Amino acid sequence: MTTTFERVQGILGKKYSLAAETITPESTLESLGLDSLDLIELLFDVEDEFQIRIPQDGGSALKTATVQDIVDSIEKLVSPETPIDPAGGQVT
Amino acid sequence: MRRVVVTGLGVISPLGNDSDSLFSRLMAGESGIREVTTEGPKGRDTNVAGTAAFDPALYFPAPQRLDHLDRVTQFSLAAAATAVKDAAIEITDDLRPRSGVSFGTGMGASNALEETFAQLLLRDPDRVKPLTVLKVMNNASAAHIAMQHGLGGPDLTYSCACSSSSVSIGEAYRQIRHGYADVMIAGGAEAPLTFGFFKAWEAMHILAIPDPSDPSASCRPFARNRSGLVLGEGAAMVLLEEREKAIQRGARVYAEIVGYGSSNDYLHITKPSVEGQAKAMELALADACLTPAAVDYVNAHGTGTTLNDVTETRAIKQVFGDRAWKVPVSSTKSMHGHLLGGAGALEFVISLLAIHYKGVPPTAHLDVPDPECDLDYVPGRGRSDQDIRCVMSNSFAFGGTNAVLIARRE
Repeated sequence: MTTTFERVQGILGKKYSLAAETITPESTLESLGLDSLDLIELLFDVEDEFQIRIPQDGGSALKTATVQDIVDSIEKLVSPETPIDPAGGQVT
Repeated sequence: MRRVVVTGLGVISPLGNDSDSLFSRLMAGESGIREVTTEGPKGRDTNVAGTAAFDPALYFPAPQRLDHLDRVTQFSLAAAATAVKDAAIEITDDLRPRSGVSFGTGMGASNALEETFAQLLLRDPDRVKPLTVLKVMNNASAAHIAMQHGLGGPDLTYSCACSSSSVSIGEAYRQIRHGYADVMIAGGAEAPLTFGFFKAWEAMHILAIPDPSDPSASCRPFARNRSGLVLGEGAAMVLLEEREKAIQRGARVYAEIVGYGSSNDYLHITKPSVEGQAKAMELALADACLTPAAVDYVNAHGTGTTLNDVTETRAIKQVFGDRAWKVPVSSTKSMHGHLLGGAGALEFVISLLAIHYKGVPPTAHLDVPDPECDLDYVPGRGRSDQDIRCVMSNSFAFGGTNAVLIARRE
């Protein structure tokens, strides 16, 4: 079964013409040559790929420094430990 | 007083994307207006418009970035790059903080805006493309031009409907004249040929009825059988420089901008006024320290609506007196359509080309004169071998903004 990391790797590779081996869990977006706008576009594609919605939290809760950070965030949203409020933010 | 010259021209127009072919086609009375179809939720609509044959691949080597740029911004960047190349200027680090952009558009990123609403209302009620804000903001074109050419000076965007890019050029001229900049890329663009914007213009009952026998002849300014305006798309940019610096670097000079006048009708949101239009022409002449006798050609606003054509004719008579019947006045919108926020810049470029090529472009499709429009509108074909030293370009807008530019041969 394809892992979350591999799917993110696939999106990044296709969208930014990056060789798969250059994208590791430890890669920072900066090291891949992506800026803040590329991140916004990446999150949009991630929403499509994983059929999720990334909450509007002002970017404060979402860790996106490395590819692994993004993978972790996706996995939390796909199988949340606590239910997600569709309007944004986790229900406590 | 510092003087301002034009050293570079760039166009994306319904009559070609280089100024040479634009002018030769205008002189021949050729029209870039044709039938266009747009697709809406209930099917297709057919209209006429001046459409630009534009291949982004010629201007944007990295195609993945195109998705970030509305069609209007693509036009703007292409025209600006052409103007910079035409001026053969290098923006050095010394020049950078003294170089800027002045841009005009009426409707802005029409395509991206419409696509956003279509996406939201027809396909996915939840979200729109991620960089929509950056694509539809009205200063996107000016910002991208500044980034592409490394311009650290004033970065300005003007939106006053159909006068937008005459205002942007006039204000850029003032930036240089009053010492705030040495180089300005100035002009404007419009890309309004979308389903929704056609509907909006249709609702104004102001669009020309397509000529069934020859759609390209649907725009007939100053003619008794006119039926309204025809929309057009494209961009035009000029590179302006402080005159001494341009001469020092050995630049080729098209003309000097000598006058700019701006006024408002302040009476009605759409109905033009003789007084307001005349005032803008008078202010431009006063700024240039010229009398109407010096003007060799007037590029009219000439939209092809009864209200515009008759009002503008009266305003020209009021300002020019007896000279009104002697100076050639033409509306090139008959051939490229109405570029709205890009119109003033395109028509100013055409006026400069009239000086450069010593020719007066015509008003096409003017076979049946309107008795209320009795000036010399240069019907049919252009006049070559004319000693054109000084030109006036008129732009008048919804919202009442009138803007007039005057340029003179060096």
